[in-house]
Amino acid sequence: MSATDEITRARAAGDPGGIVAPPAAWRQVDATVGAHRDAGAGHRCLELHVPRTFARPEPGQFVQLLLAPPAPVLLPRPMSVASVSASAGGLTLGFLYAAVGAGTQALAALSTGAVVHVLGPLGRGFPLDVAGTPVLVAGGRGVAPLLFAAEAFARRARRCELLFGARDAAHLVALAGATARLESAGGRMHLATDDGSRGLAGTVVDLLDRIAPRLRAPLVIHACGPHAMLRAVARWGLRHETPAFLAMESVMACGTGVCRGCPLPRSESARTELARRRDRIPSLYGSPEFAMCCTDGPVFAAPDLDWERIH
Amino acid sequence: MDLAVRIGSLALRNPVVTASGTFGYGDEYAHVVDLATIGAVITKTVTLEPRAGNQPARIAETAGGMLNSIGLENVGLERFRREKLPKLAALDATVIASLGGETPAELAALLEALGREKAIGAFELNFSCPNVSKGGAIYWTDARRLERTLRQLKPLTRAPLIAKLSPDVTSIAELARACEQGGADAITAVNTFVGMALDLDAAGHRLNRSTGGLSGPAIKPLALARCHEAARAVRIPVLGSGGIMSGRDALEFIAVGATAVQVGTASFIRPRAAAEVVDGMRAFLAARGIRRIAEWRGRLMEPPATPARRAPAARRAKPRNGRGASRTRCDGSGRSRARR
Ligand SMILES: Cc1cc2nc3c(=O)[nH]c(=O)nc-3n(C[C@H](O)[C@H](O)[C@H](O)COP(=O)(O)OP(=O)(O)OC[C@H]3O[C@@H](n4cnc5c(N)ncnc54)[C@H](O)[C@@H]3O)c2cc1C
Ligand SMILES: Cc1cc2nc3c(=O)[nH]c(=O)nc-3n(C[C@H](O)[C@H](O)[C@H](O)COP(=O)(O)O)c2cc1C
Ligand code: FES
Repeated sequence: MSATDEITRARAAGDPGGIVAPPAAWRQVDATVGAHRDAGAGHRCLELHVPRTFARPEPGQFVQLLLAPPAPVLLPRPMSVASVSASAGGLTLGFLYAAVGAGTQALAALSTGAVVHVLGPLGRGFPLDVAGTPVLVAGGRGVAPLLFAAEAFARRARRCELLFGARDAAHLVALAGATARLESAGGRMHLATDDGSRGLAGTVVDLLDRIAPRLRAPLVIHACGPHAMLRAVARWGLRHETPAFLAMESVMACGTGVCRGCPLPRSESARTELARRRDRIPSLYGSPEFAMCCTDGPVFAAPDLDWERIH
Repeated sequence: MDLAVRIGSLALRNPVVTASGTFGYGDEYAHVVDLATIGAVITKTVTLEPRAGNQPARIAETAGGMLNSIGLENVGLERFRREKLPKLAALDATVIASLGGETPAELAALLEALGREKAIGAFELNFSCPNVSKGGAIYWTDARRLERTLRQLKPLTRAPLIAKLSPDVTSIAELARACEQGGADAITAVNTFVGMALDLDAAGHRLNRSTGGLSGPAIKPLALARCHEAARAVRIPVLGSGGIMSGRDALEFIAVGATAVQVGTASFIRPRAAAEVVDGMRAFLAARGIRRIAEWRGRLMEPPATPARRAPAARRAKPRNGRGASRTRCDGSGRSRARR
């Protein structure tokens, strides 16, 4: 059973925050850098070739990218998978990342053929089986895993609406490529920028307000972007009784659930539900208070998190 | 090669164990590490009641290390017994359960509940969590309290008791001796060091509780010195912990007197780290024709020889607690001292 099937099943069974962890299929493998190019506004597109032992990631899942020594940082860096394709000897994984600190800057310096270590696939991806017109809401680099989702929807003969927002036109990262990928998946792109330099002048939530009434109900939202945006999208979903699934982030150490370092506060309703069903939930360590971003997520249903306490 | 060691009555196939809180309950990593190839798995510290842990942020990477402020998040005794023990029993691993308490009575209650469980080979008592407001490292830095507590706990189980100590103390030797006096079968030296990290741009603290425990390569020299100090102070085995990433690191701790070593943060980076440490140890020893780990243990327990005008070597070797030089003799044969 795939992770997304698992999550759908768990949620259908009323499992808030997805308590039943999917069986671990991750491995740590050596990967070689393939194409690696600039994507504008401080972002880069990276391809990694992984061997056949690496399980095929699903949209919304991530990996832990570890630089080979000597590296300026100690811990691996979590990175969402943006594309998957078969290649000689295994898979080619695509990533879109921002070089923001020492780890991602060192990553940016790697050229084709360099070796990095990849641990994954990790976490639970977007539950693609939830019915409705897929509305994908992206902020900045969050667009990448959603394009991967759009392609998965296309294979299920479902067409997506992608709402892509950023602070300005330059931060609509890799827009041309994204549009092409989306269109070949039969999807439609809608744009918004805070400064109005491209598309609607406003946020993606403003865009959602405008587009949603024109789409065939029911809708189902899958979103990835900064937490402030995800909070707004989650609240929009809750307000409109539209299921919304949000790809969250946290600082991480292990990525596999053992360190307990990546907590996100659960909502009151999720806590109550957990407390009620405690005896039947075979959790890892699990507290009703916090979900772990890496294993309970990174994709969460809007009602499961306490958005007041998410920064 | 003979890597087998003993921690009290518990035999380990090799000296490499996974550190508490860094390897879950073993089953999380069992698909990538053959648990039969490592000495033991020490499980996440369990407390009497479930604990939700601290507010985020709980982790901050720093130069060569990481700070954590997890706050002992765990399922609590009841669910540990019901959900984890059966799984632990099914693993092909030696299991050491880590116990945490805010008072001696809480530890006693935990041992009363778990002391006779066959799936548990030994208990590590976490006297050193830096991330809880009650019953953490500071509470347990009182030598008399440690001694009294161990005296109280010892009769509750036949499994060995390992006292895990904080490095943030004036004298780890004194605390280690107090534990030994109280009946501890072994000492773990050390838990994380209290540290702090700021985000200057945001003018804020990077961890929610501002301080956390520092682990990883950054602490290895500090931990090595504490391990050495503890090993010189007691007859019981010492488990070295702090920044061990490779077989060579592990052999440094063993060279200064540790009987076993713990691999912590390294498992976050390479889940197979503990197994790799075993392989690395084996390769290093084999290359030097050393066939038993006991031949290596304690090799470098003595300070380096200084120019001749100092006192003769035999007298310099006298351990601080003055209980006789023979215990810590390092005559080059590698057989530094007898073990229980
Ligand atoms: C599940 C998941 C998926 C991710 N996917 C992507 C992706 O596809 N593309 C991408 O560019 N980034 C992604 N990130 C964020 C990425 O992991 C961080 O930007 C990266 O760890 C920063 O490392 P650094 O060494 O360059 O910077 P650091 O010096 O470690 O940090 C630089 C800045 O980034 C912040 N930061 C550090 N770690 C994280 C983190 N895990 N999440 C959020 N902020 C962080 C720090 O607080 C700091 O402000 C993802 C994070 C998670 C948890
Ligand atoms: C995230 C994290 C959680 C930890 N949790 C515990 C714990 O529950 N109990 C405990 O005794 N030690 C705990 N420790 C300390 C480790 O067991 C180990 O002693 C310490 O990290 C130093 O070793 P290292 O440098 O190899 O990591 C934890 C360490 C980390 C990094
Ligand atoms: S990163 Fe370790 S539990 Fe999530």
